[in-house]
Amino acid sequence: MINFVEIFIRGLMLGSVYALVGMGLTLVWGVVGIVNIAHGEFVMLGAYFAFWVFSLLHLNPLLSVVFSIPVFYFAGMMIHKRVTERLVKEQELSALILTFGMSILIWNLAQFFWTNTYRSVAYLTGNFPFMGLVFARSKTVSFGLAVGITAALFLFLKYSKWGKAIRATSQNSEVALVCGINTIKMRALTFGMGIGLAGAAGAIVSLQWVIFPQMGGSYISKAFAIVVLGGLGNIHGALAGGLIIGILEAIVTQYLSAKMAQIIPSVTILIILLLRPTGLFKK
Amino acid sequence: MKNRIWFGIAILMIFLISVPFVASDYWVTLLTLILIFTVYAAGWNLFSGLTGYTNFGLAWFIGVSGYVSSLLIADYGLYWLFAWPIGATFTSFVSIGVGYILLRIKGVYFAISMVALTEGTRELFGTEYLSPMTHGGKGVPFVAGISLSTLYWAILLLAVITLVLCYKITSSKFGLRLLAIREDEQAAETLGIHTTKDKIIAFVLSAFLVGLAGAIHFTYQNYIDPSFAFSIHLTLTPIVMTLFGGVGTVFGPVIGATLFTFIHEILWAELTLLYMAIFGGILMTLILFFPQGLLGWMKERGILPRIRKI
Repeated sequence: MINFVEIFIRGLMLGSVYALVGMGLTLVWGVVGIVNIAHGEFVMLGAYFAFWVFSLLHLNPLLSVVFSIPVFYFAGMMIHKRVTERLVKEQELSALILTFGMSILIWNLAQFFWTNTYRSVAYLTGNFPFMGLVFARSKTVSFGLAVGITAALFLFLKYSKWGKAIRATSQNSEVALVCGINTIKMRALTFGMGIGLAGAAGAIVSLQWVIFPQMGGSYISKAFAIVVLGGLGNIHGALAGGLIIGILEAIVTQYLSAKMAQIIPSVTILIILLLRPTGLFKK
Repeated sequence: MKNRIWFGIAILMIFLISVPFVASDYWVTLLTLILIFTVYAAGWNLFSGLTGYTNFGLAWFIGVSGYVSSLLIADYGLYWLFAWPIGATFTSFVSIGVGYILLRIKGVYFAISMVALTEGTRELFGTEYLSPMTHGGKGVPFVAGISLSTLYWAILLLAVITLVLCYKITSSKFGLRLLAIREDEQAAETLGIHTTKDKIIAFVLSAFLVGLAGAIHFTYQNYIDPSFAFSIHLTLTPIVMTLFGGVGTVFGPVIGATLFTFIHEILWAELTLLYMAIFGGILMTLILFFPQGLLGWMKERGILPRIRKI
């Protein structure tokens, strides 16, 4: 029983990070209407950002998680203004192929400059016991960070002026425009936020796992499974979907193997699309 | 005019068939690769170019079929001529199931699901549970006992069949229905087109052709392993080729495959480490500045007649 509780909590901790990635993808998808296949690559870049800040500047990795959000936010805004905004009105196919190319460009460049060496941020190592269970310190701290960022995102979308404008754009871009919302700006903002979330998730990931240039592929699969679980553009659904994927992964890793856990996203996608293509939750 | 075209095609075919007798092995190898990628690109175009459903899982077709046929040759000693169609047929049957699940809903879901499926299958083929069958991550080396020229003629035959098929389909009612799906799926459905059925047929046909070429590809390589069989490079390159030649055209993929196989040769020799980045960059540039492709551009300028058959 204790064992199962431990697996469950481990899954929740994993899932909180996956949820960050998934929420970023679903936010951009719902508001901008672009499916960003390069989303996983920004997670990878976030992880490398934290790694280099830690190893070159010796800054506290927890601070680099906080710093990664504005850095990736502005990078995302620039990318959207320069590149993806042109494709908003085009067919979905164009944006898909473009971000697919972007994803490959990014990971190959990362591979070229930083090589395939596995790296990790050696900080917060070790475990601590709590109520008869043992937790890794890095994972517990990561969980706290992920929960904090998620809460901040929800509050922002719910109460701030921009958050409301973003939701309006998501519901009906044309009516929002008529109401005086600068939808072009809101799309850039949302794209930046999505990339910011991916970057923050990457920085958190670097605290607990090894990082390497091709890690983005597994994150885009997971993020997409999360979006399918939660329903397109549904932020709350993405949070729930992230936790579900995390818990499933913890269970499968425990009882089958870590390799089998890697096929969870594809199996989830196939099953959900077969049985309930609108996602588990009502929007 | 018509006679002239047939005469040209006959000359070209005689030339292509006689290549192994006159040219060195290097050129035969190069042509083999061009033809393999022609089938990949034309197969991708047959489904994605006509229906507008972007297939990012081309490597999945190639890998599954390549694995089945390679294992049949390596472990069961099956003759290559029988192993290839079995691999391709197996892939087609699995694609019926996958297509049934993924093609009922909107295009975007399909696109990323195929990425996830390819990723998942690669992991699955490397797991300890399938290792007794797939040999896990260490791969399967094998010798099929086929000479380079026989391989070349086989892929030449397949490429010709693929192109004739693409030509026939784009000028048929079935091809028109697929185009209608690309332009406006809801309208197509309202007009009485059974869109799901047509999409699945095109998808499975594409799976069969690409699968067959994949089986030939890995027989030519004499080796297969999960990261190689489901490599993103096998998906990316044919898409770049098709986009360059012209999406939805019949001969665009051929032009793209020929040009980019040469570019591949040069890049692979000079800039191996940046190879994928360059292709990714080319893909982005094509989408942003040259989305209609070479043949599409020539049709717009009036250099070529504006007909679907080219």
